[in-house]
Amino acid sequence: MQKKIYVLGGAQTDFERNWSKEGKGVIALLKEVIDDGLKNIGLTYDDIIELNKQDKIACFVGNFIAEYYVNQGHLGALLTEVNPAFYGVPSARYEAACASGSVALDAAITKIRAEDYEIALVIGWELMKTVDAKSCGDFLGRAAFYEDEAAGIDFPFPKLFGRLADATITKYNLDEKRYLDNLAKISVTNFANAKRNPNAQTKKWFMNEVQAKTRGTSTNDMIGGKLGISDCSQVTDGAAFVAIASEKFVKENCENNEFPIVKGWGHRVAPMKFDKKMQESKDNAYILPWTRQAVLDAYKRASLNVDDIDFFETHDCFTSSEFAAISAFGITEPGHENEAIENGHIVFDGEKPINPSGGLIGCGHPVGASGVRMFLDLFKQVAGKAEEYQLKKADNGMMLNIGGSATTNYVFIVGKE
Amino acid sequence: MNIKTVTVIGANGTMGCNVAGIFASFGDAKVYMVCRDLEAAKKARIKATMTVKAEAIAKNLIPKTYEDLEECISKSDLIFESVFEDISIKTDVYRKIAKYLQPHTVIGTGTSGLSINELSECFDEKIRPNYMGIHMYNPPYNMTLCEITPSQYTDPDLLKKMKIYLRSVLLRNVEEIKDEPAFMGNRIGFQFINEAMQYAETYKDNGGIDYIDSILGPFTGRTMAPLLTSDFVGLDVHKAIVDNIYNSTKDYAHETFEMPEFAIKLISENRLGRKSGCGLYQAVENSDGTKTINVYDIATGNYRAREKYVFPFAKQMIKELKVGNYMRAFERLTNNHSIEATICIQFLVKYVIYGLVTTKSIGENIYSADNVMATGFNWVPPLAVIDAFGGVNIFKKIASERLANDFLSKIDIDEILRNVPKSNFDYRPFFKAK
Repeated sequence: MQKKIYVLGGAQTDFERNWSKEGKGVIALLKEVIDDGLKNIGLTYDDIIELNKQDKIACFVGNFIAEYYVNQGHLGALLTEVNPAFYGVPSARYEAACASGSVALDAAITKIRAEDYEIALVIGWELMKTVDAKSCGDFLGRAAFYEDEAAGIDFPFPKLFGRLADATITKYNLDEKRYLDNLAKISVTNFANAKRNPNAQTKKWFMNEVQAKTRGTSTNDMIGGKLGISDCSQVTDGAAFVAIASEKFVKENCENNEFPIVKGWGHRVAPMKFDKKMQESKDNAYILPWTRQAVLDAYKRASLNVDDIDFFETHDCFTSSEFAAISAFGITEPGHENEAIENGHIVFDGEKPINPSGGLIGCGHPVGASGVRMFLDLFKQVAGKAEEYQLKKADNGMMLNIGGSATTNYVFIVGKE
Repeated sequence: MNIKTVTVIGANGTMGCNVAGIFASFGDAKVYMVCRDLEAAKKARIKATMTVKAEAIAKNLIPKTYEDLEECISKSDLIFESVFEDISIKTDVYRKIAKYLQPHTVIGTGTSGLSINELSECFDEKIRPNYMGIHMYNPPYNMTLCEITPSQYTDPDLLKKMKIYLRSVLLRNVEEIKDEPAFMGNRIGFQFINEAMQYAETYKDNGGIDYIDSILGPFTGRTMAPLLTSDFVGLDVHKAIVDNIYNSTKDYAHETFEMPEFAIKLISENRLGRKSGCGLYQAVENSDGTKTINVYDIATGNYRAREKYVFPFAKQMIKELKVGNYMRAFERLTNNHSIEATICIQFLVKYVIYGLVTTKSIGENIYSADNVMATGFNWVPPLAVIDAFGGVNIFKKIASERLANDFLSKIDIDEILRNVPKSNFDYRPFFKAK
């Protein structure tokens, strides 16, 4: 990538919080994450006013479906309700289902690379606890092809990722029990990692391997195909914020310029419908070839390969999607993901840790925020600011954020300059 | 510390059952659940799995009765005693278990009120070093506070190891508290709740119970208003806690631990709160199956519908909190000179003062009261209240302007607030917009 894109830092809300129970809405959520994020990067609202006078700043908002959850659209403009400093600041909302955060990041990075602006504020958010679980599942169904894959179906997404599990077993001729035990291990690792993350939704929750393996009980009900609740990320409220900036901005405004940089990215879209995905990938070694392609694109743009990546943040909306990501990243060959899981490669102190933050299963999944949250976690690790969950070696990190049933695939690599 | 086997005595009680769940899950320990009869123990076992939402721990939970004490105790690395809060009952249990204890076995009591020193003396000198208070809050799966209290005989090395175990294995928020009545959380919490109850009596002609609860509602930094909390806990339990503190301590807040007459009368009529159908509040079922919560009117002695009080300060605070304007919410409070706003300010200030005084006398450090109130009560912790007011200077100014002289004359506010740090807790999640 030609021009350097610096990541200055950011903030996330505590994903354990239920904002509806607190009686608070989206403005309180945004105010909090932006206040905290600005404080962390050493920027004030007055600075925003000054930067905007010179047309150097813009905002990029990632959100999936606030129109349903909180009856609100026009989310770029909504920032003007957070603080008058946003009056006049270019700002728009970006949407790609659960990859909405990434598409906002992508737009921000592109604008900085084009030198249209010097600093970009990226905010991803979703308030999901405003409705009951069934309605929530139905709303999320709009990330699939609603008419065919979600309308009238209870919890369509767990069912789609349950089908991914079935398809994985069939494609690679896996032993079903061994595969499901692998998925249980993925779940347990994410829960365990979340215990170190003070912003994780599940930091107080209990999960162990026996519980994760015992699906179909009242505390681990079946939710989609062979998957249980323990294979599934939860309904979460939350927001994440990151600021990215040009080399010029960093040189002129920052005393310290040792910030992580964006090294690579990949963006590929697979067929919308799950059936067609499987049909298309029938003869491919990868079950999700476009996910793999997005990873390869990022490696190519960064001139790096899997050996150079110290850790990963992946989109474990379900354990079956993390399983597929292992080979997509290149950690193992496709069909051999079990090796990385069974050998402990992907645990916190393993060779290739995945989701040191706890991921979507452990940290939580406010859908429009997740891409930004992952990107923030890449920043934290690379900058050495992950505190309790700081990895020993974190020079380069990769994230995979997906929308729908691995339909939109976004990959970023953030690393030391 | 390697705790593989635990015996919980009194495992069918609320706390015994919940704590068994914590040991069996996070601790992955084999837990003997000792109850009066096997049926109760079997029921408690299922309940315990539900408290941590994991049936998988059932294999770690073994229903037992007092008949099996010899087997259970002799195999255990830790005994958690959770029997009725009565020294003679506890003494009797201790006498029964003493002969089966291994030299390394730790004995923890879940008492919330009795003296750890006095209880430890039920054992002979050899056993006393292994005995301590391990006080968790209900429900421990959500409330992670664990107050640990050594007696004068407790082995300091063992205490240290237990603290590490509770913190790193059971994921508890551990605070070492001196052996004082009700330890710290209940002392600070029930000072607030009981004084709210006294105010309900004083202001009975303004509405009493629901009037005070509306002044100190969730927008003041808690999930549940204080008198609703008392009703939920049970007036008898409330009384046991405040009587204990009233009888055995003598600080400046002594009189605020005296339970008001009307509440004592309710207890005598077995109107203990939610568990007995009525108390400070009463749930009434409507013809359509829905429930209405009525309130006890102290002035008339009858239950009546709750008033929908509209206090401008509260309405404005809630409006600001809804959109995350915490500073403005507090300005709405402190700029308002109505009697209700004044009561609200006084309660918040007195809570901070009592929290700081208590943490200095029985806590580990200045942050202890914060840890205890946030993780044991889910209330905004004292130091975080100071932050919410806008820092120590503003807090002190408001305190001296809005508190009565007779209160201020009892304390040295400058000394209490000297060098207080910022809280480690973010105050924002605690102040609800309702």
